[in-house]
Amino acid sequence: MTIKSLSAAALLTVSSVVSAPSFAEEITIDLWSRADRSGPLRAGNIVSAADQLNRMFEAAGSETRVTINLIETNHQGFDADALALLKAHSVGETPDIAVAAHEWIGSFVEAGLAANLEEHIADSPWFYADMIPELWTSVMYKGERYGIPQDSEIRMFFVNNDILRAAGYDEEFIDELPGRVDRGEFTMFDWCDLAADTVEKGAAKIGWVHRPNVGPDFQMAMASFGIDIYNDDEAKLQITKSGLTEYYSWLKYCVDNGSLPADMTTFSWDSTHAAFRGGDALGKFHGIWNVGAQMEAFGLSNADEYFDKITWIHAPAAEEGGDPKNLSHPIVYIVGETENKDLAALLVAMASLPVPNTEHAVTTNHTPITYGQVAMPEFQENGWALVAGTPLLARAEFMPNHAKIGQYNAITYTGVQAVETGEMSPEDAAEMVIEELEIELGDDVIILD
Amino acid sequence: MADWERLAQRSTLGRRLRLGALSVFLVAISIPIAVPYIWMVMIAFTSRRGMAETGTLWPALVVILAGLGSYGATYLWLRRERPAIAVGVIVALLLGLILLGQDLHLQNFRFMVNANIIEELDGQGTAGGQFPWVWEAFANSLILAGTQTVIVVTVSTLAAYYLSRFSFRGRNTFLQSLLVLQAFPAITLVIPIFLIVFWVGLLNTLYAPILVLTALELPFFIFIMKGFFDAVPWDIEMSAMTDGASRRQAFWMVVLPQVRVGMIAIGVFAFIKGWEEYVFVNGLRTGDSYWVMSTYLYYVQEDVMGVDYGMVAAVAVLYVLPALILYVFCQKYLTQMTLGGVKG
Amino acid sequence: MWSRVKPGARVPRDLRLVKPTRQRLDALLFLGPAVALMLAFFVSPIVVNILVAFSDMNQTVRFGEFPTTEQFNKLGKVDPEALLGIELRGSFYRALALTATFVVLTLFIFNVTFALILALTTTAVPERMGAVFRAIWLLPRMSPSVVYALLWLWVVDSTERGLLNQVWLLFSAEPLNLRLDHPMAVIVVANGLIGASLGMIIFTSAIRSIPDHLFHAARVDGAGPLSIVRHVVLPALRWPISYITIYQALALLVSFEYIFLIMGPSRSTMTMAMLSYTKTLAPGIGGGQYAYGAAIALILIVVGIVVALLMWRLTNMKSLLQRPRIEVN
Repeated sequence: MTIKSLSAAALLTVSSVVSAPSFAEEITIDLWSRADRSGPLRAGNIVSAADQLNRMFEAAGSETRVTINLIETNHQGFDADALALLKAHSVGETPDIAVAAHEWIGSFVEAGLAANLEEHIADSPWFYADMIPELWTSVMYKGERYGIPQDSEIRMFFVNNDILRAAGYDEEFIDELPGRVDRGEFTMFDWCDLAADTVEKGAAKIGWVHRPNVGPDFQMAMASFGIDIYNDDEAKLQITKSGLTEYYSWLKYCVDNGSLPADMTTFSWDSTHAAFRGGDALGKFHGIWNVGAQMEAFGLSNADEYFDKITWIHAPAAEEGGDPKNLSHPIVYIVGETENKDLAALLVAMASLPVPNTEHAVTTNHTPITYGQVAMPEFQENGWALVAGTPLLARAEFMPNHAKIGQYNAITYTGVQAVETGEMSPEDAAEMVIEELEIELGDDVIILD
Repeated sequence: MADWERLAQRSTLGRRLRLGALSVFLVAISIPIAVPYIWMVMIAFTSRRGMAETGTLWPALVVILAGLGSYGATYLWLRRERPAIAVGVIVALLLGLILLGQDLHLQNFRFMVNANIIEELDGQGTAGGQFPWVWEAFANSLILAGTQTVIVVTVSTLAAYYLSRFSFRGRNTFLQSLLVLQAFPAITLVIPIFLIVFWVGLLNTLYAPILVLTALELPFFIFIMKGFFDAVPWDIEMSAMTDGASRRQAFWMVVLPQVRVGMIAIGVFAFIKGWEEYVFVNGLRTGDSYWVMSTYLYYVQEDVMGVDYGMVAAVAVLYVLPALILYVFCQKYLTQMTLGGVKG
Repeated sequence: MWSRVKPGARVPRDLRLVKPTRQRLDALLFLGPAVALMLAFFVSPIVVNILVAFSDMNQTVRFGEFPTTEQFNKLGKVDPEALLGIELRGSFYRALALTATFVVLTLFIFNVTFALILALTTTAVPERMGAVFRAIWLLPRMSPSVVYALLWLWVVDSTERGLLNQVWLLFSAEPLNLRLDHPMAVIVVANGLIGASLGMIIFTSAIRSIPDHLFHAARVDGAGPLSIVRHVVLPALRWPISYITIYQALALLVSFEYIFLIMGPSRSTMTMAMLSYTKTLAPGIGGGQYAYGAAIALILIVVGIVVALLMWRLTNMKSLLQRPRIEVN
């Protein structure tokens, strides 16, 4: 398919969408996006798409022009941004397009913010037919699609090989590690023992660090302990007391053996990053977009140097023979339920084409949304980390798109805090968390065993 | 005669001893407060690697101590203020140049001339480069704090005068409810206030935080101003009125000048409040409709992707400066705030 | 209601001609703007807050189910066996206890006692010197909260980079981690350093306004400095101390800005005001439950009023409140 025919197709769709162009010469599309250095092109690609569209209009002799009104917020994190977006929506300031974390789709649909895109997707196979099918799961709510995946990622424990070497582990051990994790031979507890060992031997100052606030990484760890967060049949969140207790016991084990700082949850992001990038910590539990900053911090210049320095592993299985887990947390485009929604959807479609999307993926270290992208020269040259990361996607799961997932995450995180700081025993914390979940989420959560 | 002299001597000695003890005490409790601020300034002017390091703090403290010491010594020797200050400043400058000369630089203040510092620092984060130049935020903060100050001072002065001078049914209830209003968790009222601001159509405008902050501060400031009015004797007003002035003229020309100090004092506090506000500024906008210094600093110190503490400290220095200048010029008025009844 | 002048009031001769309309106009002119502003942006939000507390308003900021006591059920449940018939939920009970500790410690150690010490000492030294020390103590109040919190974070940093640890490690081998080990101390001191300065200003002003002849008279009677403080200064400070105690108690009850900026949404310092904030607007930790936050806020309001009335009684504030002379009756 040539660009020309694509443009023609786009133009055709547009002229049918904007059916009263004689007076509507300028259409303003409000685009809501969180300022985020890990993805300026999420908004930028929409702007470019509008530029393209305007050139098509001009070529066709049409007077219609599309302007993008950028609303770029400075919220700290996607949860805060999603709440602000809902607030704006509730006072009638619904944007036509929004960039958001996928798990908020449930809330957006319930609030009447996000438009149903089933028809648009079905009508636009040119744009979407090559999408990696699993990614569609991330935009589903009650069986229908309400967003377009913008990127994907994988999460992992980053391991500093030099610290392992300094602690006396040989190359064979390092090379074998990912395989052992994948086969379920190396467990979460082994991970903490390993980290504690490097601290004892003086090779590391800190064993390992995780994120200092609520976030998707913890769901990945919970999954390793057999907690299946979502009940598809009933469309409800769920939790098991035994799984939660085990998960918290593991955290306590790690704090007690000295591999995890007791005040991890009061760290700033800055000191969390510094702990690993400064060579103080053996491991860091985070995501693939860290690669750029790690290359810079350790002074590495290519893939070989990088993988000589760093090893990636999944969240290991909780017990030997179990399954390791990974979690992908796509960012998605939402089309607002506004009068411009068809045009907005089209702009989203154009911004999701391989060329612009690859530019985002490669510059910010995010995995692609279509199969075709991986074959692109740009990807082959600059996307080595992503190509290397793609096998990890095999273990990836998504967070459920449930309206109360934000609260669920926040409450389970308070348990993490309580256990790590030594305030509560794992059993008490699990009890407290389950009580809070019952109180705050009511019918939306199922408590198993 | 001799007894009297001895007694006088003993009392001067006692006074000196007491003064010395008090000074030591005051210095001891003030150091923990002053040192972090000195540290902040030192980070702003010396940090090169974006870290909060104490390397230059200790020499800076030596410089300050030396300056103060030489000032004190000269003062005790000459008993004159000006030469003592001059000596102190010169000693501090010289020593500072020697100890810190090569550490000082202005690199961390480049955000003042670079309109798009965020992108220069950390790379692009937006499509539109919408993060404003610091002066835009600075100007908005000035407008917010300034307008708010004018309204607060005017409105609370008028109300306090009325409450101080007029009797009306329900006056006591009114005063009591004013006091109780301060019991309300104003800050947890952000959502109701958000709704009301939306209903009256002021969302995403600077008017919203201006009016809201004013309303929330009024109870406290009305009380303070009432104290000042209570202290103005009725005779002054009375004689003006017997001279033919109307009630309003008497208020304007005779009473108001008497409470100037109070107006300045509450003005300073109102300005500081408007200058530092974050919660309401952020809560009463959706998206990014306006920027003020607090939101600017928040963004600069947002640390998800690593942060340059040298620049954060520099922004903080710029942010604190107007409040400090205001304080230096108005501090003598601040300690004249009374709460009514005392001067009676 | 506030605008009416009492009939038959003692009005100076020259003012008898003033017409009621004129007085009403005066009330409107002087009191009107304040009343209008407070009604619009202070009183009505309180009313709205009560409505919200009995609704299920969440992320979408809309009134759904109303009225409902759903939010209050999250705080406690009816249990005839329990004290007062209500069994408080764990997190709420904890928040209550933390709030009480925080308010009482901060109020009595810093906002009143230390403020008084500062006022007394800075007025006992030469004026210029006292002003310098007061200026230093006003620094935290004058600096924006974000800056102040940032300094705290740098000072108590748990690594050897922290300012406090740089000093501490001269005497000890183990670095201090105050935010983990003594979170309550951190927020009490952080709030107290700011809180003390308001009391300091008010008390200083009050001490200054004590007529000089009282001091002279006391000295002639042979009173030492301590007995002057006790017999001359403290009696004059009765009203300011009552006022500061009440005002600061209420302010502390709802204060969370510094707690949040320094401690984050940490469980160890989750006071009621913090709980309300984290359930509504705090970034990234289960926000968006506006009705739940409003319900907690409503409880704070009630507690606030009760505390205010109690203290009023205890300090006999009411009689003090009425004392200012009203010249025109």
